[in-house]
Amino acid sequence: MNSRHEQEKKQFKQLFQKEGVDAFEKRFKVLDCFLKTEQHLTCREITALLRKDGNDMDSDFVEETMELLCQFGFAHRVQFESGPRRYEHRHLGMHHDHMVCVKCGDILEFKDEVLEQKQAHVAAAYGFHMLQHRMEIYGICSKCLSTRELLMPLCRARQGETCIIKSFEGGCRAQMRLSSMGLRCGDRIEVVASQGGGQMVVATGDSRFAICHGLAEKIFVHHAPPEIDYDIPRISGHFPLETEEKIFLSAMKQGQEGIIVRVGGESVLRRRLMEMGINRGTRIYVEKYAPLKDPLELIVKGYHVSLRVEEAANIIVEHVKTVKHP
Amino acid sequence: MKTLTMALAGNPNSGKTTIFNNLTGARQKVGNWPGVTVEKKEGTLKWREHQLKIVDLPGTYSLTPFSIEEIAARDFILDEKPDVVVNIIDAANLERSLYLAMQIMELDRPVVFVLNMADLARSKGITIDAERLSMLLDVPVIFTVGNRDQGMDTLVETAIHAAQSSPGGKSGRKVKYNRDIETLISELIQVLEAQFHDHHPHPVRWTAIKLLESDQMVKKSLEELSPELEEKINQMAARSRSRLENIFHDDPEIVLTDDRYGFIAGIVKEVVTLSPRKRADMSRNIDLVLTNRFLGFPIFIFFIWAMFQLTFSLGAHPMEWIESGVGFLSARLDMLLPPGLLKDLFLDGIVAGIGSVIVFLPNILILFFCIALFEDTGYMARTAFLMDRVMHMVGLHGKSFIPMLMGFGCNVPAIMATRSLENPKDRILTILITPFMSCSARLPVYIILAGTFFGARAGTVIFGLYFTGIVVAIVSGRLFRSTLLKGQDAPFVMELPPYRVPMAKSLVIHMWDRSKMFLKKMGGVILVGSIIIWALSTFPRLENYTMDYAGEIEKITAQATDTASAGELLTPGVEPPPDMAEKISDLEKMKNQEQVAHSFIGTLGKAMEPLFSPIGIDWRCGVALITGLVAKEVVVSTMGVLYGIGDGESDALKAALKKSGMTPLSALSMMVFVLLYVPCLATIFTIWRETSAGWAWFNLVYTTGIAWGGAFLVYQGGSLLGF
Repeated sequence: MNSRHEQEKKQFKQLFQKEGVDAFEKRFKVLDCFLKTEQHLTCREITALLRKDGNDMDSDFVEETMELLCQFGFAHRVQFESGPRRYEHRHLGMHHDHMVCVKCGDILEFKDEVLEQKQAHVAAAYGFHMLQHRMEIYGICSKCLSTRELLMPLCRARQGETCIIKSFEGGCRAQMRLSSMGLRCGDRIEVVASQGGGQMVVATGDSRFAICHGLAEKIFVHHAPPEIDYDIPRISGHFPLETEEKIFLSAMKQGQEGIIVRVGGESVLRRRLMEMGINRGTRIYVEKYAPLKDPLELIVKGYHVSLRVEEAANIIVEHVKTVKHP
Repeated sequence: MKTLTMALAGNPNSGKTTIFNNLTGARQKVGNWPGVTVEKKEGTLKWREHQLKIVDLPGTYSLTPFSIEEIAARDFILDEKPDVVVNIIDAANLERSLYLAMQIMELDRPVVFVLNMADLARSKGITIDAERLSMLLDVPVIFTVGNRDQGMDTLVETAIHAAQSSPGGKSGRKVKYNRDIETLISELIQVLEAQFHDHHPHPVRWTAIKLLESDQMVKKSLEELSPELEEKINQMAARSRSRLENIFHDDPEIVLTDDRYGFIAGIVKEVVTLSPRKRADMSRNIDLVLTNRFLGFPIFIFFIWAMFQLTFSLGAHPMEWIESGVGFLSARLDMLLPPGLLKDLFLDGIVAGIGSVIVFLPNILILFFCIALFEDTGYMARTAFLMDRVMHMVGLHGKSFIPMLMGFGCNVPAIMATRSLENPKDRILTILITPFMSCSARLPVYIILAGTFFGARAGTVIFGLYFTGIVVAIVSGRLFRSTLLKGQDAPFVMELPPYRVPMAKSLVIHMWDRSKMFLKKMGGVILVGSIIIWALSTFPRLENYTMDYAGEIEKITAQATDTASAGELLTPGVEPPPDMAEKISDLEKMKNQEQVAHSFIGTLGKAMEPLFSPIGIDWRCGVALITGLVAKEVVVSTMGVLYGIGDGESDALKAALKKSGMTPLSALSMMVFVLLYVPCLATIFTIWRETSAGWAWFNLVYTTGIAWGGAFLVYQGGSLLGF
């Protein structure tokens, strides 16, 4: 991870100095601070973090810098629902989706190959050419869920949540009314709309019901897990991405092997690399670095080729492992 | 009997040149491709009833219009329409080689695939199903082993057959691109065909593909063909390009490249079987030592040292023979020719001029032999690999190192060695700064001047001069890189070919070709240059000397005859008394001195005195510097003449210099000037040949300017400091 951040800092220096961006040193501090955390931060939070490190900066300046970072592809702007604008790291060639906890506001990153492929399949099936996609799952994180009471009045269920009716409190008349509407204990209901304190709309099967707040207080429900017909391994921790890390070729060590995911850089360089057979999906082996640590020697498609380290920083590799023979 | 043209194409290191040498032997000539300084090799072969002209195209990985080699190769196939293109493929490297092969096939000439180095591939456990490959691509495929001369007959026969069976030009199955791309290609083809009806000089499909790739050369040729259509087509191509960009989110060139590789990957999967027979890879083992972290540099330095030792110490012996040969020749001419202008012209102009070039022949042969050895074994690529980091700091490519190093020997071969650099900007940059590497011809000047004025510290001073040259080269390099030759330096994507045992035949051919080029080019220029300098220092003839030299000489001779034993005449074979010879030669030297002072060049030197005086150089040294244009060694001999001492009497010259009022400071200033100013006519001419007249002039002005500035700083700065 750190080597990747070092790479990005290096690229930042190159790019911004070439572009002649003003206040370079200050902006570099912003980037540094931003890369240190792994969270999705708002401008205000970044400004506060900077202040903690003893860098007092104007929040407008920080915002401008973050926008610049987005513009140059070092950060990514994300906005969940109508929340404030947040920024996350942008690592080239890597895509991930988000889970947002509606209770504590925690944001989780995840990646699922099956899901990615499925999305592509679906799009293809509709003859739809997918350019990009955003996948956000809203819900309650495992931490919040564990502190939640299992049995709760329906009025506290969140919009979009699916619950199972456990019991009715209150008088006979209320029970009768609900039964006559067709709601019984053990039914699975979905909260379609919930305006805090007002009316709620729930649905079972194909029918909708409007329930006033008073009545909703009397219905006790259980949180219902989504119906999944297969087991998924529980992923713990915030960054499942680490398990299949992608790194820059320049960060690879002697004797390591990997598969190219992406060839970036200027058009001339990319073409030249591709002509020599260094393209996506190719297995690449780092034979050695020159005595002065630059250039490096690679084995690709059965022949030896040398590249400068700065050029190698345009190539992203995955499935990196140390092997004995190329 | 019709002459068939056969072009050899292929990747670098695919053994193309070996096959070319096998086919043509000594019947080849080396020249340049029109307009560019890429070596063009042509040879002939008589095969049964056929006369074959074989052209060795430059080795490339692709046919994009980015490098001059690729353009040269492509234009040859497109414009000259060879009867057959023989594509040499390194069998151990099929996948990468097929990329170029696919592009060649798009050019619509009859093609033959030659899977070369088949033995090497087999030993690596690679089996290629040639029949299947031939069937899949609809192209004849054969195997050869170039360095063992195997399969050459089949090659020629297959090529002739291919040329005759489809003279119109048909070349197998082509890459099928993505459906979106194919649609756009066929749209463009329709428009092109509607307009040209088979009259388009280039293959239409290829033109359409190149338009999608936004190929500048194709656009230009289209503009020449039909200006009114050009706009329409360009608009269409631009639209198609932006459509592709929208679909694939990438440059169309990249998408097409990806597609080609996709197609190739499919073919490779069908025809190649890998057996896991892992043999010890010799080349990798050698590299473990030669590019080792600790041993790499010492070994490299040793090789370079050995190359210089060979070149200059081994070369010194034949050099002596040639020198004495030239001496003998001029002595004979001296005897044969009647005294007069013609004799002077022959002796001092032509013989001396040609002699000064031919003397370097052994050095050059050895140097080029070493370089050919480095190149053919594959070590050259390793030197670039080792040195790139260092050279990159100056804004140069690792491959620039060898030419610059050779500059310490002689600038002319050094500049010619820059041909190994692919990027024209890198080449020009290397060429422009190489003359600051102090060549061996400058050493005699330093030895005389430093020896006279710095005594024991002479060594340090000379080392300092070499070092100054390197610093000026680095500073100039950075300066040019950030001003005149701006731009990204070429990507350092370089193949490190496997080490190979070089073939004696190709080494000799390589060495001889380049040396021949050197002799041919330089001989002419040096000849003309020396005649001009000779004329400048001979005319106008001085009629009235301050004293009657001829009379004096006669008098002395007469005296000597008198003093010799009475009555006995001077007979040939009897040495005249030594003091008489000395007196005569003294008189002749004085005569020479007076003549040169009176001549154009003397007048020029005196006229330029205001230019030379700020840098502490008197008119005599100024004249010496001007004559140094022919070759730097001449500086010493001119000084000898002007200070009234003959050649080769360095002690006398030292004494004369000391008496002349030259100070250590002005000597240093002179040495700095000699170090930095235009190396010599031959170098300038080489620069002209390798780049353009503009760059040659620029180099002349720039180096002289730097030299004057440097000398000025030394002299004035030194004077201010009180030296």
